[in-house]
Amino acid sequence: MRGPTIDFKRLSEFKYAIINAVGEDGFPFSLPTDFELTPQKEILLRKPAANLPILGKKVGVLFNHISAIPTGGYTDRKYMLLWGRLNDQKGRLKLEPESITEWDEKILPFGELCAKAAPQGQKYLQTVRQIEA
Amino acid sequence: MIFNQPPFQEESTVLIKVPSWANDVFENYLICEFTSISDGKPVTFPLLFFYESSTGLFTVTSSILFSRKIENIRDNSKVSLLFSNPTGSGIAKHAVLVQGVARLEEEDLDHGWERFLTDWREKEPYIDSFLAEREKFGWFWKRIVVRVEPKKILAWKDGNTAVNPEVFK
Repeated sequence: MRGPTIDFKRLSEFKYAIINAVGEDGFPFSLPTDFELTPQKEILLRKPAANLPILGKKVGVLFNHISAIPTGGYTDRKYMLLWGRLNDQKGRLKLEPESITEWDEKILPFGELCAKAAPQGQKYLQTVRQIEA
Repeated sequence: MIFNQPPFQEESTVLIKVPSWANDVFENYLICEFTSISDGKPVTFPLLFFYESSTGLFTVTSSILFSRKIENIRDNSKVSLLFSNPTGSGIAKHAVLVQGVARLEEEDLDHGWERFLTDWREKEPYIDSFLAEREKFGWFWKRIVVRVEPKKILAWKDGNTAVNPEVFK
């Protein structure tokens, strides 16, 4: 199966990854961990200690970045969220990406992101009106 | 609006005690990674959060523009907040995962979230410049309040997830 288009140069700029799964108790479970990209464009994650049922399961892997502003707050927001399956590869977890969503405010400024999201806002308001009717 | 869910009962009893370093994370980190569940799939995005130390409740707010997480929570109220990014907090890197149950407050989209504005300003001092353009970003400022009651907290001191976490209930 052909995976999503991933900008590996941008991906390499993130400092760590977060593995997200749904645990056996039904609650979401997130674990930060280190990652590396191989020359073959494989995404390998360090195995966390927690005994999670994540091998072969559909997981999300979030790469997130912000930069601090010296006077307070943060900027330079960007993230990549990849969904796929994790498989054991020589003691590491190899992610087989199936889909992606991402945002980088330097590429898509926040105002434009809001404009692009208008259909979701409209959907929310329509749902509310239908329920109230 | 009719979506408003009843508040948590006995809010003062939800507080789960954690070590001081984990509490510092809740008090100082700027953002969390918030996960809701969509058809069994985890959906995680970085979000600003607010922590109420007296009750132990966490709050995030969501614009209606980015309300898919709200749809997810209506279907499944189990959520988590991971605190893994110390950027801008002035404290050391730790990792703390809060698993909890979310309640939506949608009664007053225009003003319900404003009670968190003081905390919001502390984290993003420039937020008033966006507020000044409230007309321009009208739907961004229609916001749903999501209150999360923790059920379990897992904490990794120094962010070392190569070891098992401390667990608090």
